[in-house]
Amino acid sequence: MAQVKAGSMRVQAKKNKVHVFDIVNYIVFVIIALIVLIPIWKVLVDSFNSVGVYRFMLWPEDFTFNGYLTIFTTVRLYRPFLNSVITTVLGTLLGLILSTLGGYVLTQKDMPGRNALSFFLLFTMIFSGGMIPEYLVMKQLHLVDTMWILVIKHGMNVYNLVLMKNFFEGIPESLFEAAKIDGCSPMGIFFKIVLPLSKAALASIGLMYAVTVWNDYSTVQIYITNPDQVNFQYKLRVMIMDGDTPTTAYKVSQNTLYYAAIVVAILPFMAAYPFLQKYFVQGVNVGAVKE
Amino acid sequence: MSKKQNVTTTSTGAPINQKPLGTRIWNNRGYYLMFLPVLVFVIIIYYWPMLGVRYAFYQYKLKNITWVGLKNFETMFGKKEFWSAFTNTLQISITKLLITTFTSVLVSVFLNEMHNLFAKKSLQTIIYLPHFMSWAVVAAIFQLFLSTSSTGFVNETLKSMGLIAKSIDFLHSKQLWRPIFYIINIWKETGWGTVIFLATLSGINPELYEAADIDGASRLQKIWYVTVPALMNTVIIVLILNLAKVLNLFESVFVLYNNRVFDVSDVISTYVYRQTFLTAIPDYGYTTAVGLFKSIVGCVLVLVCNWASKKIRGRGII
Repeated sequence: MAQVKAGSMRVQAKKNKVHVFDIVNYIVFVIIALIVLIPIWKVLVDSFNSVGVYRFMLWPEDFTFNGYLTIFTTVRLYRPFLNSVITTVLGTLLGLILSTLGGYVLTQKDMPGRNALSFFLLFTMIFSGGMIPEYLVMKQLHLVDTMWILVIKHGMNVYNLVLMKNFFEGIPESLFEAAKIDGCSPMGIFFKIVLPLSKAALASIGLMYAVTVWNDYSTVQIYITNPDQVNFQYKLRVMIMDGDTPTTAYKVSQNTLYYAAIVVAILPFMAAYPFLQKYFVQGVNVGAVKE
Repeated sequence: MSKKQNVTTTSTGAPINQKPLGTRIWNNRGYYLMFLPVLVFVIIIYYWPMLGVRYAFYQYKLKNITWVGLKNFETMFGKKEFWSAFTNTLQISITKLLITTFTSVLVSVFLNEMHNLFAKKSLQTIIYLPHFMSWAVVAAIFQLFLSTSSTGFVNETLKSMGLIAKSIDFLHSKQLWRPIFYIINIWKETGWGTVIFLATLSGINPELYEAADIDGASRLQKIWYVTVPALMNTVIIVLILNLAKVLNLFESVFVLYNNRVFDVSDVISTYVYRQTFLTAIPDYGYTTAVGLFKSIVGCVLVLVCNWASKKIRGRGII
C-alpha cells in the first residue's frame, strides 16, 4: 500500500515539473501551426493589398477592397460564384434527401429484398464505368455544358448513404415499433421520428455534400465549356492559368484580384468552419472508427 | 439467398416474417416507394455508364462506331505513354499515401502529448483547415507562391536570403515536380489525417501510461512502448482503406501538372482526359478501354483490400 502511494506521489511530482519535452513539443507545434497559417494569412493580406509584393506581411501595406469589388461587379466573375452557390445548395439538398431516404429504407429488417438493394448500392463502390462512359451518358441526357451536372453527379453518394444508415441504426427500435402500433406510415415515421432525431448526422453529412460540390473542379473541367455555366473554382483556376483578367471600373492589380478570388473560393467554409468543426469531424468518425 | 433466410429465422418476435412473401412485400410498399428515387439516381449515375464499357471493344470516332474486338487493348499495352501513366499512378499514389500517413501519425503522437486542452483544440482547428480547400484553390495558392515572377513568395524570399541566385521554376522542373507535389499533399492532408489516429489515441487505457510511469519510463519511452503500438492497427487499416483508392488520382495531379513534366506526373486519369478532351478527333473506344483497364485493376484492389480488412479487423471496407 505504502509503496503504491509513494509511487503515485512520485508520478504526481513528475507531472508538475516542466519538462524539456513539453517545451520542445510546444515549439514544434507553433512551427507546424505557422506552416499552415502563413500561406493562408499571406493570401488574405495580399487580397487587401493594392500593390503586389512577394514578402510576407502581417498587414496590407496599402489597403484596398478593389479586388473584391471587381469580383462582385464583373459578370464573368460573379456569375460563376452564383453558380457555385446554387449548385452547392441544390446538391446538398438532393444529397441529403437521397441518402436519408435510402439509409432509412435499408434499415428495414423485415423488408424483402433489402440485401439485394444493399448489394446493388455497394457494387458501385467496387466497379465503375469510368470517365468516358459517364461522359457519354451525361451527353445523352443533355446534361453536358450545364451546371446541373454538378447537382446530379454529387446528389447521390453511396458512402454518405451508408453513413446515414449506420446512424439510423443507432435509433432505438422501440420508437419505430411504438409509432407503427400507433398506425404511423413509413413516411410519417421518417418525418416525425427519424429526421428529428438525426439533426447531428444531417449536419455532418450535409456539410460533406456541401464541401464536395463547392470544391468540385474536375467535373466542370470535364463536362462544362460554356463560360456561363462554370463554377467559381473553375473560374479561379482559368483566371490564374490564362492570366485572364477582366477590364473593370476599379483599379486593381492582377495579384490583388487573384488573391481576392482565392479568398472568395474558400470563404464560405473558412467562415463556418470554426463553429461547425465538430460536425466536420463527426462525419469521419462515424464512418471510419465505428467498430 | 441464404442470408435472407437467416434474417427470417433469427429475428425472433417479429410475426411479420412468418407471413407469405407477397403480403410482406405489400406491407413494405411504402418503403419501396421511398427507395425509388435512390434507385433511379443510382441507375443513371452508376449503372447506365457501366453499360458504356462495351465501347472498349469498338472504335468510336465522331458518330462512327465499329467493332474492333481487343484492338484497343493491344494499342494501349503497346503505348509508351500508357505504361508511363500507369507506373506514375502507382508510384505517386503509394508514395503520397505512405508519406502523408507517416506525417499524420507523427503529428498525432505528439499532439497526444499536449496536455493543455485549449492548445490542443486550437492546434487541431488550425491543422484541419487546409483539408477543406479545393485542389483548385490549393494549386492556385502554390502556383502563385512558387511562380518565377517578381511577386513569387518562395523564389524571391530564397533570393533575398542569398540561398539561390536565379529563380527556380519548381512546377516545371522534372526533378522537383514530384517532391513539390508531395509537400503540397503533406500541407493539405496531414492535419485531417490525424482525426482517425487521435480518435484511436483517446481510447488508450490511461492505466497503461500510469503503469509505465511507475516503471520509471521517460516520455519518449512511453510514446515508443505505449502510444505507437496502440496506433499500429489503425495505421494498417488506414493504409488498406487508401490502397483501394490508389488509382483514383486525378484532380490533385491535373491542377498541378503541365506538359513539361508529363514524364513524371502523367497518371491514368489525366492520360484518359487528354486523349479524349484535348484531341481533335478523340476515339472514345480507346479511352473507354483505358478506363476499363483502370476500373478492373481498381476492382481487384478493392476486393483484395476488403479481404485484408476482414482478416485484420473482422470488418470489410465496403
